Amino acid sequence: MANLNLTLKVWRQENAQAQGRIETYKATNIPDEASFLEMLDIVNEGLVHEGKEPIHFDHDCREGICGMCSLTINGVPHGGKHVTTCQLHMRQFKDGDTIWIEPFRAKAFPLLRDLMVDRTALDNIIAAGGFVDIRTGSAPNANNVPIRKKTADAAFDAAACIGCGACVASCKNSSAMLFTSAKAAHLNLLPQGQPEKNKRVLAMVQQMDALGFGNCTNQYECEAACPKGITVDNIAKLNRDYMIACASEAVGVYS
Amino acid sequence: MNDIITTACKFVTSSIGRKILVALTGMCLLLFLVGHLAGNMTIFGGLSPEGGTSWIDSYATGLHSMPAWLLWAIRLGLLAILLVHVGLTLILKYENYTARTHYQMEGTLKATLASRTMVLTGVMIFAFLGFHLWQLTFNGDPHDCYHHILAAFQNPWCSAFYIVAICCLFMHVRHGVQSIFQTLGLNTRKIRPLYNIIAILFGVVVCGLFISIPVCVLTGILH
Amino acid sequence: MNDIKFPVSDYMPSSCIPEGPIEQKWTKYKREAKLINPNNRRKYTVLIVGTGLAGGSAAATLAELGYNVKCFCYQDSPRRAHSIAAQGGINAAHNYQNDGDSVYRLFYDTVKGGDFRAREANVYRLAEVSANIINQCVAQGVPFGREYGGLLDNRSFGGAQLKRTFYSRGQTGQQLLLGAYQAMEKEIGKGHIEMHPRTEMMDLVVVDGHAKGIVVRDLVTGEIKSYAGDTVLLATGGYGRVFFLSTNAMGCNVGAACACWKKGAYFANPCFTQIHPTCIPVKGDYQSKLTLMSESLRNDGRIWVPKSREVAEKIRKGEMKPSDVAEGDRDYYLERKYPSFGNLAPRDISSRAAKEACDDERGVAPTGRGVFLDFKDAIARMGKEWIDGQYGNLFEMYEEITDVDPHEQPMMIYPASHYTMGGLWVDYNLMSSIPGLHVLGEANFSDHGANRLGASALMQGLSDGYFVISSTLPTYLTTQKPGSVTTAAPEFKEAEEAVKARIQKMMDIHGTQTPDEIHRKLGKLIWEDVGMGRTKESLLDAISKIPAIRDEFWNDVKIVGSTEGINAELEKAWRVAATLDFAEVLCYDALAREESCGAHFRLEHMLPDGEAKRDDEHFAYVAAWEYTGTGELPILHKEPLTFENIHLAIRSYK
Repeated sequence: MANLNLTLKVWRQENAQAQGRIETYKATNIPDEASFLEMLDIVNEGLVHEGKEPIHFDHDCREGICGMCSLTINGVPHGGKHVTTCQLHMRQFKDGDTIWIEPFRAKAFPLLRDLMVDRTALDNIIAAGGFVDIRTGSAPNANNVPIRKKTADAAFDAAACIGCGACVASCKNSSAMLFTSAKAAHLNLLPQGQPEKNKRVLAMVQQMDALGFGNCTNQYECEAACPKGITVDNIAKLNRDYMIACASEAVGVYS
Repeated sequence: MNDIITTACKFVTSSIGRKILVALTGMCLLLFLVGHLAGNMTIFGGLSPEGGTSWIDSYATGLHSMPAWLLWAIRLGLLAILLVHVGLTLILKYENYTARTHYQMEGTLKATLASRTMVLTGVMIFAFLGFHLWQLTFNGDPHDCYHHILAAFQNPWCSAFYIVAICCLFMHVRHGVQSIFQTLGLNTRKIRPLYNIIAILFGVVVCGLFISIPVCVLTGILH
Repeated sequence: MNDIKFPVSDYMPSSCIPEGPIEQKWTKYKREAKLINPNNRRKYTVLIVGTGLAGGSAAATLAELGYNVKCFCYQDSPRRAHSIAAQGGINAAHNYQNDGDSVYRLFYDTVKGGDFRAREANVYRLAEVSANIINQCVAQGVPFGREYGGLLDNRSFGGAQLKRTFYSRGQTGQQLLLGAYQAMEKEIGKGHIEMHPRTEMMDLVVVDGHAKGIVVRDLVTGEIKSYAGDTVLLATGGYGRVFFLSTNAMGCNVGAACACWKKGAYFANPCFTQIHPTCIPVKGDYQSKLTLMSESLRNDGRIWVPKSREVAEKIRKGEMKPSDVAEGDRDYYLERKYPSFGNLAPRDISSRAAKEACDDERGVAPTGRGVFLDFKDAIARMGKEWIDGQYGNLFEMYEEITDVDPHEQPMMIYPASHYTMGGLWVDYNLMSSIPGLHVLGEANFSDHGANRLGASALMQGLSDGYFVISSTLPTYLTTQKPGSVTTAAPEFKEAEEAVKARIQKMMDIHGTQTPDEIHRKLGKLIWEDVGMGRTKESLLDAISKIPAIRDEFWNDVKIVGSTEGINAELEKAWRVAATLDFAEVLCYDALAREESCGAHFRLEHMLPDGEAKRDDEHFAYVAAWEYTGTGELPILHKEPLTFENIHLAIRSYK
């Protein structure tokens, strides 16, 4: 165990309207076993004692599953180690390092304060079609429909998305294709998702476009930044499903 | 009928629909490239021994001997495909630019240089295309293509421009080819490395062969 | 005898349990329950606070039925509620494994697991609807683990001798919550739910004795606002953060429940706090939370400490690798003490056994507080690939946090505060002692008695939200004229002003300690004195020190920033203040309950072999505490527990 001394370059912005800027802070005596957010806690405790406003950032579960934490570290959302920021540990850094900390940036994610952004747009995409429209209490027995294990596993892999928005923040075009396609793939793969498949795909893509996200240019930056290993195979599947959905809607083939 | 039109309109205004059109037009342009390359390779047939027409001249006159309406239909078709490809790309690019807020410290994990410079290389190729058409198509003589090409490439500036443009084409194709599979939904994690190999091989072979012409002219192999 | 004489009241609201044999109570209830015409449902406004499994599923279900739902959460999206972190699984009496499961068995295991301190009728209902929960979730597209034949797979969990736990790898809570969240988003999209994220409930508004609204703070603008409704559903989770370090999320807090308690809702069995046996041990003072390693790991991991203190000492100092300890030098203490349940003994028992081993100076973490969870044998038996298929993400998570690969060296674990069985008292309708205030999920005193079995929390949250509240809510609503109360009522203004005044009071202190520093002090005290082993002495110690910490807060807290806009320090301070108001009743309850049962272990009350000594004659009741004022002794109300279907017996897992 060792202690680190670091220089932080942090984006500070009082609110959505204010002018933002990078400010420099010293983080001293940081245990290398601490998590990245605990490092910020230590810095913030120091700031509060000096009577200064602490650095605001989103965080909640601190075990890598809620998807609330959202820092862009040295230009890469979550720091690019295939974990969420809260699971990033200081042993990944060296004594004397300078670390740039910025919010998740995209026009569709308006900044709220410092490092906090509003990711409601992702909820809106789900509301457009990321569900199976069944009523509570109307479900048949769970074992009535057998599902191939590989299919179920693939659906799970897509469903593992935590909705953090790192895909959007890392994308050079701020596209939400990985997020949208992961939810679409999760439901489109399963037999339960079939009745609404075309409707879902068309609605989710339309909503995604309307919210001002960019367009995918197949650079796969999202996949590399994703803390949950969601693959761009889902994007390929969404493209495929979208073509099929458009074709069958246009021609009137309802399989 | 209404359904078809409404769906088509939605398709061509949606992000995925337009990407698919870019991919499909890109694919057509790649096919053209292959055809064009095959024609160009006739230059290595050299002049026929009897001092008659060269291989490439016969190819060129052959092309010109097809009915004018067909020739122009192909030309206009290609132009339309090109304009759709370029136009849609520029619109998408503009949208992407406005969708993004920039970082003070930019970081990149995986995006290749080729993928990040698609518009730049595309513009280079487009500019080159204009020059290329002006120099060899509109100011050329189909009956003496061979010497015209030789003359053009003996100018080192002209060759250099050609080579740089083809390098841009390589970059463009390297990202474009594998991107087509992804956009058309034919990609999976298992097969992705294969697409990358196809993209690079395609780029190397096609661009290598294109570049071989000015290189051979400059080194005197073709004379 | 206690030095403190608690005021005891004879009054106890009816638990409204339907008559008849236990198997027929719920059916009978539903048959006779009041109904609301579909066209009239939209006239009723339902306020739901919290969007976890209970709140989210209730919001979706009630909106589907046609109620006008308004939903609130402090997170930026309903999908982030802490239910998402549940790892292991969800129980259901489907008997897909053909190992003899039934509704009765699940009911029996749950009551026994809770050490006979839960209400029989509620638990039976829970077991009854459990199978439907799985059906519901599968239909929503929740990707549960499956067998090669395509049917659902099950795993076993602590406190059960059969496999009835459905799972989605190590992310069951996440997948179930996303199912509920998607159902909710569907209704948000249709305009049936008005969603208010980043909004924290500050107070309950009671009009003429009925819960008719809430006061909230918009966490983005800082504005204090009110919402009126015909009923309030509280689904705000537990109070585990009273220990400061816990497996709960950073934002989890008792604020909303405490506000309801202060407005007259009884708080039941607060001393039943579950300490989860398998968490990653504490590493330092800066630590913000403890990470849970799913109990499902105990299916294949074996728990041990060295037999001798010398070996333990060497491991602590790093002079010896755990994998080098010879088989003969290892004490697999759970297998030794509880041969029939072994490593799958219930949580309270496993936690206490770990504490005992560490108290015996055989702990292995550098702090001396840790035991091993070893997969060596399972890897040898089933292969690395199989283990990764079962627990891959947990192994990765462990390695990420500790830098130790659990394939090579055993995991190091230690108990940590995890779940709270206690909560606001509710009747069979899930209504609290304030008419109109319904409490769901972990926030109510729940169906888990003195100890919750693994994989039962998800079951209870979803049961309350999907199946129970939709049937019981009309019982209250039909007595109310829809929309009879609006925010124009003077009670709203009063409550808003009180909230604003309390915030201003905090802001004006300008002291020297951050809210977290004070919270840490409280947490440390509660963990030491009211943790796994409690004594009268320790409890009196805590009771004497809590007011001092509260005074420290109200005299010395330092909150920078302003009340307008986002202010994380103010949010923390508000929550800490509520925790400080609540902390004493936890100690009072632990002190008043002169027995050991489930997670509540009084060192004075144990059997000669060290097991919990329950006192059914004097303590077979739910202790429901009524607030009388901060720093004042609360009034104890008792709801007697009768066991007509299960024979009260000493809970043995040997």
